[in-house]
This record gives sequence, C-alpha cells and structure tokens, in this order.
Amino acid sequence: MITKKVSKKDIRKLLGTWNQECNVIVPSRVDGVVGMAAWDNQDISFLDWYRNTVIPPKSCFLPKSEVMMSFKKNENGYNLEVPTNEHWQVIFGVRPCDARANAIIDHVFAVTYDDYYYISKRRNTLLVGLSCTNPYDSCFCTSSNIDPTESEYVDLMFTDIGDDFVIEDFTGGGKALLNMSNTLKKVTKADIDKIKEVKAASVSKIKKTVDTENADRKLGSLFNDTDYWERISAKCISCGICTFLCPTCFCFDINDEMIRKQGARYRGWDSCSFRSYTRMPMENPREEKWRRVRQRVCHKFEFFPMNLGINACVGCGRCIRSCPVNWDITQVIAGLPAEAGIKSGK
Amino acid sequence: MIITQIKQRRKELDRDKNVYVPHMVLVDKIIEETPTVRTIHFHFKDPELNKEFTFEAGQFAELSIFGVGEATFCISSSPTRNDHWECGINRVGLVTAALHRLGVGAEIGFRGPYGNHFPLDIMAGKNLVFVGGGIGLAPLRSLIWNVLDNRDKYDKIAIIYGARSPGDLCFKYDLDTWEADQSLNTIITVDKGDAMWKGREGFVSEALRDAAPSSRNAVAVVCGPPVMIRSTFPVLEQLGFMPDQVITTLEKRMKCGIGKCGRCNIGNLYVCRDGPVFSYAQIKGFISDEY
Amino acid sequence: MEKELRDQAAKLLEEGTVDYIVGFASGTLKHTTTPLITGDKDETSSLVINPFISNNLATYALEISGRLGIVAKGCDSRSIVSLIQDKQITRQDIVILGIPCSGLIDLKKVEKLAGKERDEIDEVVVVADKVVITVGSEKQEVPAAAVLFDHCIGCELQIPQEYDFLIQGPAVEIRNSEASREKIKELKQMSPDQRWSYWKQQFNRCIRCYACRQVCPACFCERCFVEESQPRWVSPVSQWQDNLIFQAIRAIHVAGRCTDCGECERVCPVDIPLRSLSKEMYDLVGEMFNYKSGMNAGAPPLMTAYELTEVESLIR
Repeated sequence: MITKKVSKKDIRKLLGTWNQECNVIVPSRVDGVVGMAAWDNQDISFLDWYRNTVIPPKSCFLPKSEVMMSFKKNENGYNLEVPTNEHWQVIFGVRPCDARANAIIDHVFAVTYDDYYYISKRRNTLLVGLSCTNPYDSCFCTSSNIDPTESEYVDLMFTDIGDDFVIEDFTGGGKALLNMSNTLKKVTKADIDKIKEVKAASVSKIKKTVDTENADRKLGSLFNDTDYWERISAKCISCGICTFLCPTCFCFDINDEMIRKQGARYRGWDSCSFRSYTRMPMENPREEKWRRVRQRVCHKFEFFPMNLGINACVGCGRCIRSCPVNWDITQVIAGLPAEAGIKSGK
Repeated sequence: MIITQIKQRRKELDRDKNVYVPHMVLVDKIIEETPTVRTIHFHFKDPELNKEFTFEAGQFAELSIFGVGEATFCISSSPTRNDHWECGINRVGLVTAALHRLGVGAEIGFRGPYGNHFPLDIMAGKNLVFVGGGIGLAPLRSLIWNVLDNRDKYDKIAIIYGARSPGDLCFKYDLDTWEADQSLNTIITVDKGDAMWKGREGFVSEALRDAAPSSRNAVAVVCGPPVMIRSTFPVLEQLGFMPDQVITTLEKRMKCGIGKCGRCNIGNLYVCRDGPVFSYAQIKGFISDEY
Repeated sequence: MEKELRDQAAKLLEEGTVDYIVGFASGTLKHTTTPLITGDKDETSSLVINPFISNNLATYALEISGRLGIVAKGCDSRSIVSLIQDKQITRQDIVILGIPCSGLIDLKKVEKLAGKERDEIDEVVVVADKVVITVGSEKQEVPAAAVLFDHCIGCELQIPQEYDFLIQGPAVEIRNSEASREKIKELKQMSPDQRWSYWKQQFNRCIRCYACRQVCPACFCERCFVEESQPRWVSPVSQWQDNLIFQAIRAIHVAGRCTDCGECERVCPVDIPLRSLSKEMYDLVGEMFNYKSGMNAGAPPLMTAYELTEVESLIR
C-alpha cells in the first residue's frame, strides 16, 4: 500500500535511523565493482549512479564463501562451533528482478530440510526494493513477467518520482521500518499520478524481450538433440561467470581446511559450467561442454518450471552483460524451434 | 506458483537442528575387504543416539574427516542389526584415502541417514534376485541381511555377485555364509580368475543370464558400477523382467546430501533427495541420460 | 576488409579446405562482438572486423576438432603459433586468416571518459588515430590511445607474421610501450607493504569463476592444478590468499606462452587487474631469455625445451 514518501535529501537520515537498530546494506562500488555492502552511515551517492549490482544480492545469504563450522581437536575429540547469524539486516536497493530471485532460491533452501546458514541470514533480513528506472540494455525482466517497479517479494518498495521516493509497504516488517522514522511525508494525489507515470516509463525502457512461453516444452522436446546443443554451446568457454552472477543459481561446494589441530568447513559457490562439478573417480556424467550448457538452460527453463511452476530466470541480464563471449540466453530461448520433431524422454 | 514464505521459518529454525553439523561416531573395527576397499564399523559417541538412530536399507550418509572433508557412503550394515553400523569405503579420492588411513578408535563425523530406501513392502512375498558388482555389494548387503533376518517373508532368493578378480570380491565372509545357506542360490563370479580361483569366471551379466532366474512374481535389485548396471538391464529384460520389477541405486557426486548443493541433479530430480533408489521404469522415464 | 574476409572464409568452406570458420560476428549488446563458429558458408556473411573484436579465438583451436579457419589479429596469431610450438595443435589443421589491427577499444576507459555506462553510450567510432564517443547529441573526440586496451598500446605485432591469408587493411601505429606498463609502474612505486595490501584487496573479490583461465589459450592443461586434491596445491575456497596463489602459479605456468593478449583482465567480472601480473611476467621472460612467445613456429618452446649446455644441472 502506498502511504508515505521520503525526500531524497532525507534518505541519509532514514538509513541512519535503521542503522541504529540493524545493519543497513546498500549498493557499494569498490574498485569499479558494484555489490551490496555494509553502509558507512554516510555515503548515499549510490542514489545517483546505482543501476544494479554485479554481484547479486544472493551473496548476502549465500556468500561466495562462508564458514559452516570451525573445529578444534582436543584430547576428547573434536569440538565443533557453528557461527551464529542473529543480527538483523536491511538491504536497501534490491531490484524487483533480484527480489523475485531471492524468493525462488528461498524455496530451494527451505524445502525438505532447512538450510541453517541461508535461512538464518534470510529470515533476519528486510528487503527494501528500489524501482528500476534506468535498466541496462541487457535487462529483460518483463519477459519473465516482472514489472521493474513492482515486487511482491520485498518489505518496502521505493520508487523515484523526482525529488522524493514514494514508499509502498507490503509486510509488517516493512511497516515497522517506516514507524521507526519521523522523516516521512504523506503522499499526495499528484504523487500517485507521478508514480503511475514513472512506472509506465520504466516498463517501456526494457527493450530486450524474449518469448519464454512454452520454453519448457520446447526444451523438453529438444533435450536429446545433441547436434543442437553442440551448436548452441560451441562458443561457451565453460567459465563460471553466468552461474556465479546469476541471482537464482544456488549450487555450492563444501570444503575443509585444517592447519595443525584447528580448521573449518567452508561452503562456497560452485558451477555446473565446470567440468569438475559432476566428476566422479570413474566417470563424469557431464564431461562434454554441451551437456553442461544444456544443464544450465534446462535447469532454469525446464526443470524449475516442472518443480515450482515458474522459470528460474528473472531477466536481470547479468549473464549477458558479463559473458566473455556474449553468449546470450535470450537468443537461445528465442531460437528454440517452435515445433521440434524429437520426442521427449529416452 | 509455490514460493516459500521464508518468514514462516522464524520459529521452526533451530540452531541445534542444523542438518550440516555432523554427529560424532567412533570407529570400532576395520575390515580390509580388498586392497582398495575397507569396511569400518562404528557407533555414535552420544549414547542416546546409539539407542535412537534408525535407518532403512538403501539410505546413505555423509562421513567426514575434519580438515579433509565429507564424502557420501551408503550404510552397508542391516537395519535389523542396530548394535553398530557399517560403511564400505572404496579408496578413490581425498576423503576416502583419509578414511583408509584411520585406525580403530578414531572419531569421525556422520550426517544422515539421507535419501529413500529399497521398497521392502513391494518385495514382500516375492522371489528376489540380487545382482551386485564390486563395491556395489555394500548397499545390496544391507538389504540382503535385512531380508534374510526376515527370511519367511520372502520366497526364493538368488544372489549373483561378481568382481574383476578374486582379490576384488568384497564381504567374503558374507559370501561364504550365503553360499553355505541352502535356502539361497548364490553365484559368485570374477571377470578373470587367478591360479587359486576355482570358481566361475565371466561377467555378472553372463552369470545372470546362465542362472536365468524366473521373472514371475520376482523383483531384481541391481547394484554395481554403471557399466555393470547397463549390461545387466538388457539381460533382465530378456528374462522377462518388466522395468518396474528392476530396482537399482544411482551413484552421483554429492556434497550436501539433502537436495541443496545441486550437483546430483538429473532432470528435475535430485538423486540425493529423490533417490538414490530408483526402479528401472523410473530411470527410463528420466528426462536426462546423465546417470 | 570485411568483404575480403567474408569471401575468403566462404571460399575455404566451399572448397572444403576447412571444416569450420572461427571469426567474429556482431554481438547482442552495444559495442560487442561474439565469436562465430560455423561450418555454413552462408553464415560467413555475418563476419565482422571492428575495434571490438576482443576475443582471442586461438582458445577454440584447442577444443574444436577438424580443420579450422581462424580469424587472427596479431596477438591471436601469436597464441596460435605458441600452441603449435607446444604441439597442442598442428599447423596443417589451421588456416590462419590474418587481419591487421589498429588496437581494440577498452570500454572501461570509454565509460570513464564519457561518465556513462556502455549501454548508455550511443557510438564509439575510430577515425584514424582519434576516437569519437557519442552520447545523445554530445560528441567527444579523444586520441585513440586514450581508449585502447593497455595491451593494445603495448602491441608488438599489429600485422600477423604467421598466416595463410592476410586480409589487406591499415594498421595505424599505436605502440607506446611505456604507457602500456603504466599500471605496473604504479605498482612498482609502492612499498612492498602497500603492494601487498593492494593485491589483498584485489584478490579479496575474486569469485573463482576461472574465466581468466578459460579464455586463455596458454592455459591448455587438461586438468588444472587448482582442481587437484591429492595433493591440494590451492584451496578451492575463495579466500584472497588462495586466489592470489592461483594467479601467481598461473602466471608462472603461462610464462613463455602468454602473448599479452589481455583477455584475462578483460573478462574478469570483478575487474581484477590481472594483466599487471601477466605483462610483468611477459617482460621478465623477454629480459631473462630474450624470448617473445609465439613469434616463431619453428622455435622450441621456452619452458619445455632444454639443451645439454644448460647451466642448471636440474634440467640437464
């Protein structure tokens, strides 16, 4: 519900209020690379330059590497210690595409077994969305039925209408954040008109589109077409960029380290693009590159829809922007033959 | 669209129930099965867990050596014998090599049991054909002892097991017992014998073909290296077994064991969570051939 | 140039001289190109030559079986030669379609000058030794050297030496080896402590995507040392120490093979200045062994050949 607005010059004050109660995370640029990082209680220049992060906000819940437990050997055996994540955090500036992405991987980490590390961070996090008014040319969120100015997966949504941000609140947590502040103003009729304008303009700025309708069915019928996948994957160099920067890629690896009698178990991102990912001592079910490319495409657009009824690509465009060879997922989806002649299954 | 409301997890998430934190187990006994396979017997350090822990034949666990890492093993002892537990370990990588360096009394980590299990309910009252190869006998052995401990629930039982050489036969003490048991038809074969070998030579699939167990009212359970599994399915089909009468376990590279880390993904399934036990009918219906 | 290249490529496919052509086509985003790998002569009409053809296509020579016609800039041709020296590919299987190169445009530099991100920049056009950057109605003219990649400014081979066909065209002299070592010079002026903390900060954000290794034609190991677990040389966990060790070892492994094509740095999604390591190694190899990789297909490879007169008894 749209209730309040905040003047841009009061954002520092607003974040400052929140920062007293919990850790405020904002877009930050270090050596030219944009990610989400702890706010320094001062700098709000990101409001001028921020479009989206290179490293997706999933890294706030599933960091590129984290300690799962540390262990120490003593005379009675091993003593294990698990880090706690009890502090609250507010992530300011989450784009609607990434908010949807978080909701998608929430499912992965909560189904059947609760993943302590992910969920302990995620449940203590309030997401403050920021309408996307200056998307990249590689953005195609509207093709995944995402409105760049709307999200049902955030606690608060901020939309830039010029001098002010109009705020929509969606959850109790969001309302609580608003109640903490005394810098908010009432919205006017003119603001409501303005926000409609901004929303319409933002949607029309998304120029890249791809028809994802029936992509799952088309992929199903193409699944065993080796020639097709070999052709599609030819220029892929099997690096991990598209998967690591994807806000819905969640695969991880677990590794131990130990020096003398102390050590830790870590988990970190892993990628189905890597040949070593599925390698077993005697064989590797995805030794060939085309199988790995197929896995990535089908996992997003075929397997996820089968399990969740939604494709796992949110159209953030990171995989296209950062790909060393301009391997463009939208081209592949758009290029799927309408009526493939091959039957699905083996 | 099913999207989990993470906020609902607030109350449910209990730090003490972090599934990734292993239980401590102590190694009681080590049996060197072959030059590369050993069985470790263990029990839980926590006396309560020793009483409470249960599992089903076919389920697996993550064993860990702290500072080296975790690896996936099926529990090779029978659920009917819960005084201790066993895992067969083939030395192929980092963690298994470390497990091979362990001595009795060592403390290791244990997470599990995970995955589904062999369908004993379907097998009841049927003729059973167990086909195993090499270290593939480990999960099969859990099931075989489970069945033998309730022998009267099942009809005829055939066990066909093979390895590359006589030295590669695992669980020889079990093989001797089963061969001596008149209620079982036990056939042991090796791909290539040696000077001392007096038994059968040839592949497991050939031994199966020669034994020709009837497919009537029968269930076949196949465990072994992929090459053996692939050569066994057609023989079973020739013998008249329908795909849903054939059961196997799949082996995949796993890390988490609970359907999160992603690497055992095959089509829309995760072998760790949706398997590892599948019928041949299910496998034939898989989207992917990457098993 | 493009027409000559397209005709030549189509002819090679038509005659059956090669099975595939590996070249560049326009990319799907502004100011990008994408590798084109095709066995279809009709597709050769989409081959392009422009200042955005960044990829080093020699990488594909390692992977694709069959005879290849590879479009090669000077640096790419050196990588191909280096692979021939290392017996990773055979000369007979490769048809080199050499193209002259006046340097490639580093979009990061353009972004900095324009104060805009690449998709907000309308046009980047090279006119002789100048580059015109257009954003909306605003045009900005800068010397080409200001927006070319550092490695292009240091280019030692603008026209391939080893080729089967050389597409005719201009190669505007761009060499300024001092300027191409600017970042390295800055690093050398730091105290060891400053330099250490600089690299610590850089490698802290490495995400271990291995794009640097995957694009590198000199990284041709079937199994990379980072993937070895027995023994484990480098931890698979992304921590700055191990990330740094990975790059340090990689720099040593490609010494004498690296042709300073700059791809490792260009593809890094988190902008780690990797060329500062590889270029320094490249220059050290030049100083110590008077060796330039990929300049002579007949020469023995630097690191894997030895003579009985070697000083080091270890090798002898």
